[in-house]
Amino acid sequence: MTVFDEELQHLKDKLLKMGSLVEDAIKNSVISLVERDNDLAQRVIDNDRLVNTLDVEIDEESIRLIALRQPKAGDLRFITTAMKITTDLERMGDLGVNIAERAIELNQEPILKPYIDIPKMREIAQGMTRDALDAFVRKDRKLAMDVIMRDDEVDDLKHSVLQELAFFMVQDPTTVTRAMKISFVATYLERVADHATNIAEMVIYLTEGKIIRHMVLPPENI
Amino acid sequence: MAESIELEVKGLDFYYAGNIHALKKINLSVSKNSVTALIGPSGCGKTTLLRCFNRMHDLYPKNRYEGEILFHGRDILSKETDLINLRSRIGMVFQKPTPFPMSIFDNIAYGLKLNGVNRRSDLAERVEKALVHAALWDEVKDKLGASAYDLSGGQQQRLVIARALAVNPEVLLFDEPTSALDPISTAKIEELATSLKKEITIVIVTHNMQQAARISDRTGFLMLGELIEFDRTDKIFTAPSEKLTEDYVTGRFG
Repeated sequence: MTVFDEELQHLKDKLLKMGSLVEDAIKNSVISLVERDNDLAQRVIDNDRLVNTLDVEIDEESIRLIALRQPKAGDLRFITTAMKITTDLERMGDLGVNIAERAIELNQEPILKPYIDIPKMREIAQGMTRDALDAFVRKDRKLAMDVIMRDDEVDDLKHSVLQELAFFMVQDPTTVTRAMKISFVATYLERVADHATNIAEMVIYLTEGKIIRHMVLPPENI
Repeated sequence: MAESIELEVKGLDFYYAGNIHALKKINLSVSKNSVTALIGPSGCGKTTLLRCFNRMHDLYPKNRYEGEILFHGRDILSKETDLINLRSRIGMVFQKPTPFPMSIFDNIAYGLKLNGVNRRSDLAERVEKALVHAALWDEVKDKLGASAYDLSGGQQQRLVIARALAVNPEVLLFDEPTSALDPISTAKIEELATSLKKEITIVIVTHNMQQAARISDRTGFLMLGELIEFDRTDKIFTAPSEKLTEDYVTGRFG
């Protein structure tokens, strides 16, 4: 292994570490809401610092490698992908913090309704995040496409959550504040899935050099 | 914009004396008014290919070409090709600057005189034009009578380019033109290559991959006498199709 290969591996390790921190943030933020655990929510908020530090380190490391190594072909695609992925991961970490903040607020009030679809959204979004990063590590185009296709499930769940909450708000205006906060949480999770989709799209770029963002995919590409 | 083809290599094989098979079934098209770079490890055949374009290999009678290189539809490998004429239309610039042991002015006037330009005023005009073209005029206009050897390496290389440009070539072949130059002179030659392609077609052999990336429109990667991949330069350096190309441009060769 050359020194450059080691540097690339180091960059990859940092991204994976950041990815697992973000996955934890998403998982724990939703648990803190469902199980009304303020300590856990606070931990999510505090841990975001680590995510932010890694975000900066990964950017600095990538810029350094571009300047000193003049990466080409697969190496160039890897480093540019790393720089873009880190931005998505950082935003996902922030969304985890947002969910935790709403959890702390909601935990102070009576439960509006049992959370059913939100944990489902969390499970799918978290799975998408994990698989997008797996696809990145293994340069697995098929898995990346699979992540992209799953985004619709999260969107559908969000719509049904919002509809249900709208119903509550119409029935009983005293639920409006809580219902709005829960709908924020659903929106945050939907965005987490969007960022996971972005990462998966970058994996397609990494594997074949094709930028597929903003494209409508024909079914044969699935 | 449709690109027209300046040089078309079709099924080219080349054997050095002693039957060394240096180029194998090369097919490649050089577009007019573009820069085409040839890259590859030492001994891959890139310089051998470059030298086919103006029949430099004919200096050794036992060298042998097979196949065709079409230059405006005519096969330059044909026995009827007038080599003097060919080499004025397809000029070459070498790795080390090769000024003649004479004044700056005469270095350029020499080739013009061979081509029948004799009137002093015509010569002066053509010499100035060539030096302006090669981005050297401002540096030498006050010392045209000085020896070409008084110039720096980078200036000498631009003088040689001016000499080649003076006879209005259609193609210039560059054989590692900056490998003996410092970064500033290199940058000047690279700028020059990029601006010259408005009027002529350039084929460059370079060991410096960044140079190929900076100045060429298309890049051919050769290995062991075969053209492994030939594509747009940005494609070669961001997402090459061939594993061998990927390994070479990322420095993971072998």
